[in-house]
Amino acid sequence: MPSDSLCFEANHLSRAFGHGRRRRLAVNDATFTIREREIVSLVGQSGCGKTVLAKMLLRLEKPTSGQLLFRGRPIDAAADPREHWRQVQAVFQDPYAAFNQFFSIRSQLKAAFHLFPQRPSEREMEERVDQALLAVNIRPPDIEGKYPFELSGGQMQRMLLARIFILRPQVLIADEPTSMVDACSRAGILEYLMKLKEELQMTIVFVTHDIGLAYYVSDRIFILHEGQIVEQGTPDAVTQSPTSPVTRQLLDDIPSLHREWIGRAPRA
Amino acid sequence: MFANHPTLRYIAGRAGWYALTFFVAVAINFWLPRLGDANPVDTLMSKVSGSLDAKSARDKEESYLKEFGLVDLDEQGRIVRDADGVPVRTSILSQFIRYVGMSVRGDFGSSIVQYPRPVADIITTALPWTLALQIPALILGWFIGNSLGALAAYRRGVFDRVLYPMALLVSAIPSFCFGILLVYVFGIQLEWLPTLGGYDDGMNPGLTWAFVQSASQYYVLPFFSIFLLVVGGQAIGMRSMCIYELGTDYVRYAKLLGVRESMIVRYMFRNAMLPQLTGLALTLGGMVGGALIAEMIFSYPGLGLSMLTAIQSLDYPVITGCTLLVTICVLIANFTVDILIGFLDPRIRAAREGGH
Amino acid sequence: MTPILEVDRLSLHYRTRFGGRIHAVDDVSFTLQKGEILGIAGESGCGKTTLVSGLMGLLIPPLHRTTGAVRIAGRDILGLTPDEARRTVLGREVSMIPQGALNSLNPTRKVKDLAADVIRSHDERADRSAIHDRLRERFTKIGLDADAVLDAYPVQLPAGTKQRVVIGISTLLNPKIVIADEPSSALDVSTQKAVIRLLFDLLDEGIVSSMIFITHELSLLRHVSSRIAVMYAGQIVELGTTEQVIFDGRQPYTRALMGSMLSAEPGQKARKPVAIEGAPPYLGQELHGCRFAPRCPVAKPDCAGRDQVLREVKNHWVRCHHAE
Ligand SMILES: Nc1ncnc2c1ncn2[C@@H]1O[C@H](COP(=O)(O)OP(=O)(O)OP(=O)(O)O)[C@@H](O)[C@H]1O
Ligand SMILES: Nc1ncnc2c1ncn2[C@@H]1O[C@H](COP(=O)(O)OP(=O)(O)O)[C@@H](O)[C@H]1O
Ligand code: SF4
Ligand SMILES: [Mg+2]
Ligand SMILES: [Mg+2]
Repeated sequence: MPSDSLCFEANHLSRAFGHGRRRRLAVNDATFTIREREIVSLVGQSGCGKTVLAKMLLRLEKPTSGQLLFRGRPIDAAADPREHWRQVQAVFQDPYAAFNQFFSIRSQLKAAFHLFPQRPSEREMEERVDQALLAVNIRPPDIEGKYPFELSGGQMQRMLLARIFILRPQVLIADEPTSMVDACSRAGILEYLMKLKEELQMTIVFVTHDIGLAYYVSDRIFILHEGQIVEQGTPDAVTQSPTSPVTRQLLDDIPSLHREWIGRAPRA
Repeated sequence: MFANHPTLRYIAGRAGWYALTFFVAVAINFWLPRLGDANPVDTLMSKVSGSLDAKSARDKEESYLKEFGLVDLDEQGRIVRDADGVPVRTSILSQFIRYVGMSVRGDFGSSIVQYPRPVADIITTALPWTLALQIPALILGWFIGNSLGALAAYRRGVFDRVLYPMALLVSAIPSFCFGILLVYVFGIQLEWLPTLGGYDDGMNPGLTWAFVQSASQYYVLPFFSIFLLVVGGQAIGMRSMCIYELGTDYVRYAKLLGVRESMIVRYMFRNAMLPQLTGLALTLGGMVGGALIAEMIFSYPGLGLSMLTAIQSLDYPVITGCTLLVTICVLIANFTVDILIGFLDPRIRAAREGGH
Repeated sequence: MTPILEVDRLSLHYRTRFGGRIHAVDDVSFTLQKGEILGIAGESGCGKTTLVSGLMGLLIPPLHRTTGAVRIAGRDILGLTPDEARRTVLGREVSMIPQGALNSLNPTRKVKDLAADVIRSHDERADRSAIHDRLRERFTKIGLDADAVLDAYPVQLPAGTKQRVVIGISTLLNPKIVIADEPSSALDVSTQKAVIRLLFDLLDEGIVSSMIFITHELSLLRHVSSRIAVMYAGQIVELGTTEQVIFDGRQPYTRALMGSMLSAEPGQKARKPVAIEGAPPYLGQELHGCRFAPRCPVAKPDCAGRDQVLREVKNHWVRCHHAE
């Protein structure tokens, strides 16, 4: 259950790219809060600024204006950004990009321990890697001695989640973690994500263009359009009584089994 | 004024970097030979002093000191001397300023060893040989190497299986070993071709039939020692770039739409060429360096040989003159390639002009 | 009615570097009628893209035919030489919209030159201005700002536009059959809808007569196709009308696939999707018995030992001897 204390607090947050005539606001005057242990989804069309906003929460992009607090302190309060990354971790769109192609998967999972100031003993590291693999439903012998290119996209996504299991961050930013995988692996990944959340008591920021997916996972949904947050609320509120035409459009565009979608019958 | 013109701004930006590189190269060129203790005036004096009396020795030394710009002069143009009568040496900085001023005018001073022959004269004698050897070898080698690499990637099969290991072998041998190997096999063992020099002894360079015939015999081995190395190195790079291009989604798509093979080969060649050009910009200096070494091995009468003799005798006006010239040539060639890539690759062009 | 395309017991394999074979398509048969959209669904790695290569009649090594035929108007296109296939089939009879359209355009060539290459490959005498007019007309028709798009390099276009450009180029020669291999999987929901509308328009205008639409999203096929073939481990495991397959699937894998669909329809209470445990079998070995048996929630003891054949159950085709 979400608690009352705030994890993120953003006031009039903006991020611009380009200069002069080509200057564009990728995130435009966003004001919001995210509570501890809450799952918030950022939803919008391609190019609406979801990834840029997520990167600011990760301290990978600097806001051009506005204020961003993490647990009551400015996000860049500590000089060393690794301080932030110990608490806030990310899963990105392309799982292959997150792993080095030349090292075995297991060794890279173990390398996750480098982020900690003190590393546990060799045996404990091995054990925790095994636990993490089991948590995402992969038998450790199955990936023994394997390299990233030998696994499918869905399996690699699970490796990313296994890494999260090892790092046990308090906050997870997941940017379209299911966009590279097929529909059936997607169900599995969402399942593991929910399991992670239960076990680690995490705050999750979930980025997606599919409002149906957001409805399924989140406590609250933010709808983004051209860098602005045009609507925010609980999944039921946002989907049942949307106030913004952007939201209505997004809802209308999901192909659903039981509803007319494109206004014509399939041809015989 | 460039602010609103992306292409000009791009060129100006690149030119700025090259100017900086050039300045650093000139400074290093100047300082490196001067790091040792050797003093050209002492070297020259030791050669002549035996035959001179004290007065004329002193005059001679004064004229050398003035000529090499090693001393400060007063208003009357006399050498400033300290209390003991020893000439006061100018600071290395003012030497440098004088050197830059002269170089800009194309005056590289005089050789120490072949005094009073001007360095410019040494260079103009050697330069045609170097240009005649290197430009065809590098350019031809580059084109043929890339074509062979592309062909090997496209054809695969026997052609590839023969060419690839050969190219690997050639490019793995250090350039001086390769030159020595050629000398040994074709010059010493088989005695097919002359190995040392640029033409038969006792001939006078000129446009006579006999001279051209002689010079072209001497040309063969140094040419191939440079040419083959470039072919080998380029072929390997081009082959792997082309294999990559042939496996891309856009090649598969073009094939499935029935696009003609000749067009697909063009796609492959052009897209593989762009990284090869970038590679050229990075390796051009090394290629020229290797070619200069080849000249040294074959005692070819070009800049490489002039540099070798100058280095052996610490004739630093000649060293700096030659290296400066080579540096300028390499930088100009690099700059051209660099700008060319920026125009040939639409991805870079689009990024520059802020597409989307 | 004679079908426009007939796939007859087609099996395809990849040769591996070590002399082995990966049987990526195994004993696939179906027909495509004029005017029809056939959907093909299945997990990634089940052989959808490999099947497309076979249907195009262009097998690029290491892909080879094991057995079977693909016939267009009675002619086996897999028996043609590569050059015959290129001249008479590719782009005209059958064309395709590739998976990963975003990387499918040569990055160093302008859109108009890429499109012109396709036309010129099939008609050497076409002259420049005629080609240009044709391109402008077609690109305008598919809802693009023709002048700007034709003059752009692919990198300068946003994803949705690029997908439209690919569709435009793929249908330039008015092919009879278009095979769309996950044309919308990389797009956001709104762009996806626009792209599918465009495909329907092409059918309505008679530019294209039939279509094969490949995807892993069954909910999308519900609105797109008239019949669906579900593939698993290189084989078709169920083939029937869209209504039958989606709402009344008889094969356990089809049902599992439906169960793993996220039908979190906004406004309704979310039904929890159930992932299919385990992974499909490795196709580089001899497979015996039902290929789905290790993952099948309703497997019986006799399943693992019994090879499955497609048989007719309630007017559609099912590969499971327990289905009824
Ligand atoms: N480094 C950058 N430099 C310039 N513009 C950028 C940069 N990063 C993002 N943008 C621009 O900011 C806008 C928002 O991009 P962002 O990546 O956040 O989109 P998104 O919502 O995540 O889209 P998608 O669903 O495609 O991932 C886009 O117009 C993009 O082109
Ligand atoms: N070039 C190849 N060499 C060997 N095996 C391949 C090759 N391409 C695909 N495969 C294998 O063939 C099977 C089917 O692949 P593919 O047709 O791409 O599946 P899908 O399109 O359904 O995701 C997979 O097991 C895959 O690993
Ligand atoms: S044959 Fe048996 S294992 Fe295979 S799908 Fe049918 S019930 Fe499942
Ligand atoms: Mg994004
Ligand atoms: Mg595929």
